[in-house]
Amino acid sequence: MDVPRMVRTQISTSELNPPQDLVQGVNNGSVGLLEIVKALGEYLTSTEDEVRLNGLTFLSNTLKTVNSTKINRQATQTLTNFYLSKLDDFDSLPPALGGLTVLSKLATFDDDAAVEVYKGVVENVNMKAYVQATRHLVYVLFDSLLATHRNALKSMGSSFVNSYTKMVDGEKDPRNLMLLFSIDRVILLEFEVKDHIEDFFDITFCYFPITFRPPPNDPYGITADDLKLALRKCMASSPYFARMAIPLFLEKFATLTGPSMKDLQLSIAACLPVYGADAVRERGAELWEGIKTEILYSSDTSIEAAALSALESLIRTLYPTSTDAPSGLAQDIIKECLEILNEPDKTQAVAATKILAAIFRASPSAGKFALSQALPQLFRQFNSPSVPSHRSPILSTISSLLVAVQSVYTSPTSQRKQAEEKALDPYHGGILDVLREGLRTEGLKSPAIKGCTACVQIPGFWEREDVENVVRGLDDVLVNDEDPEIRPEVIESLTTISTHHPTTIESLTLPLLFHNLPDSAPSASDHIAREKYRSILSSLRELCVAPALFQTLVIRITTKLDLLSSSTPQSNGGDEEMGEFDTRECNIAYSWDLLNTLQNVVDKKIKEKHNDLIRYFDQIVPRLFTLVVSASTTKLGDASPLFRDRRLVGIIAKLVESLVWELNVEKQSAWFSAIYQAFEKGDWTGVVHDKSVVLSGSPLRTGASSAEQDLIALYAGTVQGLKGDATLPFGSSAEFLSSKIHWTINVARDGWQVKWILELICAFVNKRENVLKDSLETILESIWSVEIQDTSKDLDNRRRGLSVYLYIIKALSLLRSPLAYSALERVIDILSLSNLDPEFVRFAASGFGILSQGKGNGHLTAKLLFAQKLWNFVLPKLIEGDKEATGTGRLVYLVAFASLLPLVPASLCLADLNTILPLILRSLSLPDPHQRVNAITTLTSILETASDSREVDKAIHAHAEVMVDSLLKSAVRSEGVASSGKVRSIALSCLSLFPDVIRFENLHKHKSIVIRELGKTLDDPLRNVRKEAVECRAKWYRYGNAT
Amino acid sequence: MSRQLDNDNPTIFAPTASATSKRVQQGKASLWASEALSDDEYDYDSASGSGEDREDIDSEEVYDLLRSITDPEHPVSLEALRVVNPDDIHVAGNRVLVYLTPTIPHCSMSTLIGLSLRVRLLRALPPRYRVDIRIKSGTHQSEHAVNKQLNDKERVQAALENKHLLSVVEGCLSTADKRGRT
Repeated sequence: MDVPRMVRTQISTSELNPPQDLVQGVNNGSVGLLEIVKALGEYLTSTEDEVRLNGLTFLSNTLKTVNSTKINRQATQTLTNFYLSKLDDFDSLPPALGGLTVLSKLATFDDDAAVEVYKGVVENVNMKAYVQATRHLVYVLFDSLLATHRNALKSMGSSFVNSYTKMVDGEKDPRNLMLLFSIDRVILLEFEVKDHIEDFFDITFCYFPITFRPPPNDPYGITADDLKLALRKCMASSPYFARMAIPLFLEKFATLTGPSMKDLQLSIAACLPVYGADAVRERGAELWEGIKTEILYSSDTSIEAAALSALESLIRTLYPTSTDAPSGLAQDIIKECLEILNEPDKTQAVAATKILAAIFRASPSAGKFALSQALPQLFRQFNSPSVPSHRSPILSTISSLLVAVQSVYTSPTSQRKQAEEKALDPYHGGILDVLREGLRTEGLKSPAIKGCTACVQIPGFWEREDVENVVRGLDDVLVNDEDPEIRPEVIESLTTISTHHPTTIESLTLPLLFHNLPDSAPSASDHIAREKYRSILSSLRELCVAPALFQTLVIRITTKLDLLSSSTPQSNGGDEEMGEFDTRECNIAYSWDLLNTLQNVVDKKIKEKHNDLIRYFDQIVPRLFTLVVSASTTKLGDASPLFRDRRLVGIIAKLVESLVWELNVEKQSAWFSAIYQAFEKGDWTGVVHDKSVVLSGSPLRTGASSAEQDLIALYAGTVQGLKGDATLPFGSSAEFLSSKIHWTINVARDGWQVKWILELICAFVNKRENVLKDSLETILESIWSVEIQDTSKDLDNRRRGLSVYLYIIKALSLLRSPLAYSALERVIDILSLSNLDPEFVRFAASGFGILSQGKGNGHLTAKLLFAQKLWNFVLPKLIEGDKEATGTGRLVYLVAFASLLPLVPASLCLADLNTILPLILRSLSLPDPHQRVNAITTLTSILETASDSREVDKAIHAHAEVMVDSLLKSAVRSEGVASSGKVRSIALSCLSLFPDVIRFENLHKHKSIVIRELGKTLDDPLRNVRKEAVECRAKWYRYGNAT
Repeated sequence: MSRQLDNDNPTIFAPTASATSKRVQQGKASLWASEALSDDEYDYDSASGSGEDREDIDSEEVYDLLRSITDPEHPVSLEALRVVNPDDIHVAGNRVLVYLTPTIPHCSMSTLIGLSLRVRLLRALPPRYRVDIRIKSGTHQSEHAVNKQLNDKERVQAALENKHLLSVVEGCLSTADKRGRT
């Protein structure tokens, strides 16, 4: 390797990074470092500044890149000395520093060299003369020296500390300061700084408080908070600072405000424990005065919180153990607080409560003393208040103290335990009395509930009977109080209690709640009874998630459902007033609510990953099957059994899906095999709880009644919950699929049944793509040619055929399977036939909505970015088709586009806005409200994110007028135009974005028109739409008004 | 502020009318939970939007429009000051009658508050409504004068042409969309 030539080329072309070959040469030993230095010789000693600088930079860069083990001891020494000689050379300093930093990290670099380098830098470098980047290099070198040769520098004694403080004095750049603060902290913690503490005080506290505000678009990303935190750590590094720092803090109390005051309080919180009790005690009272002002009078909650943490730190420093006598400052503070609490309705009382709580958290001795002073006084005030309205704030104070106690005793990081301190024990009776009184009294319930929750959680404080006592009180509130604000609090409290004392809730609360659930639904006009059972159910929904309580819920709800199903439908020809709905409808709604409760609890348990759910499968699913299956067979003359209702069948199917999904593979296989027997062979014994229920055959057979066919929902639910690796009870998946497709197209009675069987097909294909792979293409092909293309067939059958086709494509597109795209191409192709087969093509266009559903909430498998892939495949084809088509032929492409829109997030549209926005704008005038909802939803998210990009901003401003006009058309109801509440309300909420996003000069002409048109929407029949209209109109009234 | 406040320490009440509605649901919604109905909407072949039950404007809705208007003297809502109360709003047919209760009998702000209410309802109610705004009887010294002023179309119109007055009203209305939320 010709090293000299290489070096020459690099230098002369000013390419100062070493070429890859050279680095490799050094690393494998074929080139010696010295060789490079030699080759560089003439440059390194050149009298021309620029050449010399290039030479040096090249050398330093080489050192940085080569393997550090290749630099031997001798080379290290030579290079170190060489660099040291360059330190007084103004231009050469940066590369020299860089080289030294590399060398300082080497094992071959010894302590003596470290001291020498440090001295060299200190003596030769005049910091004030250099720019930020060079100063930064100096600090990096220092940092490296401190990291690797700390002891050598320590042994320099005061000469190091003295020179260091001089070197860094006056630094102002935040980037350098971040580094300096961390170096300062190391020195303060490890070096002998006592005699130099004033110098250190000068170079650290001079920055306090930091008022730095980063420039906009700061590339370095240093925030004021970063600096504050770094400096705070520095200030809290040495107890010797106390003498100077505390007076400084006291002085700053008077002058600082806002964020700086918060910084001050947090700094005090950080520093006091380090400065030590003796130093703090001298000025304790003065510190308290400063802290107090912010707690009692500050309107900024974050400053108040900072001040409270400063107070905690103060108390913790002064009274660290449980044996410190709580005399002096703590006593004074507590006394002050209790005086304030004499007027509990003043806002300061809340602050005083917080102070007492902070004292308790901070110190075991002072905390115990605070409780012993406060609680008796508060009990006295509560029991004989000077004004009745005082009781609520007093109880709030008591509860807040209890919460503080609980937070200390249950915190995993705290060492303090109720069993050791027993701080609350003397007030056991008093606490129980006021809390129970509170639970009984209007206006005191909320604080009482809070207090109870806290007490229950303190380990070992309340006996079982105390808890029972309180739970009874809470139950009473739950059942009898109608205040909607209180109920959630009770539920939360009971839920917390149930994690500590499940049996108490099980034996007291649950029976009471279930007792209050009626056996049959209240009549349609009985709103109060209905509200009552709804409220109970919503309580159960929260409570029974706990494993210990879930069993009771399952048993009680299934029993109730059994009762409801067996109750004979009363004859409707009564003289009683039935309201709008008959008893059956009421019972259905009630059953639905019961099932929905069960479903919600199951969902929550799945979310929280409770593993007890599997055990309940056999208790729930076969029972529900029994209800539905028996209802589908019984022939009761004119009255139709309850569980024939499709809404109930539907929700049960959903529940089945969730529960099946939770089963393990073996159980799933067994269950599906039983289901298969039932549906295909008509043998129901494996799936129903009550074996006497028999169906006359398979519900899929031809000639089955509509009610029997409705059972398909349960079949679908099971298949949707099936995992991909469950064993199937049949040989050919393709045959199974084909039979289901046949049933869909030719047997299913109506849309409801088709919907469920389509879900089944989709889930099956999605999970079994690997098994079906080869046959799928043939199946799709045959659906296309037999069911779809044949225009002589019934239109409805062709539609169903296309639905099946699209659902299979959806299942495949989720897996990003290539077949999905080739199959979809056909559907896109037929869009061009809208003249020949208008009705079918229109259906096909809106059928793209099927694809846009994506994964949904179900258990379909979806691969990453499937939506993007599908979107990128379909969109260009639609755009192309739209361009080629003419007249009304273009409409179908637009419909397809709008139907597909929900598939992708708006951010994807933003990337290609110039193509997509015109399409969205045209979609706004589509006749179908569903598609308009899609378009408006996308438009809304585009507008919401518009300000982020200049291009988007430009595009939406250019189209603003058109958008407003189209949105107004969707917002106003007019005769003969299909509309829905959803489209009107979403159009209005989109319109209300314009005043925020679009500059007034673009739309000023429209203001009066919009306001006039919006006047019509104020009379919309739907309340929610009116609400949006009012808000939107108010915004447009303000639009353009000078503020 | 240079001017002496009429009532410099008004009583502020906690909101009693909760954010949730006590309105009894009508029709299907009375029997079925909202989730059940939203499922319905996506039904396979139901054409939604055809059978919309009409929900008429009631006093609760009107109260909702007014409750969060800010008092001209204090940064507090009219609800918190009990200047408007749900029970003092009456809706019948195309007529709305609102009684307002000044915080003190000599309150010179009553007309301004009344004007704010009127502007709000002018903007938020369909034009077919005729709105009457009155001082609750026995709560103000010059009840009749204020009533007259508030319900005189021309005087209201003239007031709204006054730029300064209008900007004060706009200020009061800027919080109206909160509708009881905080």
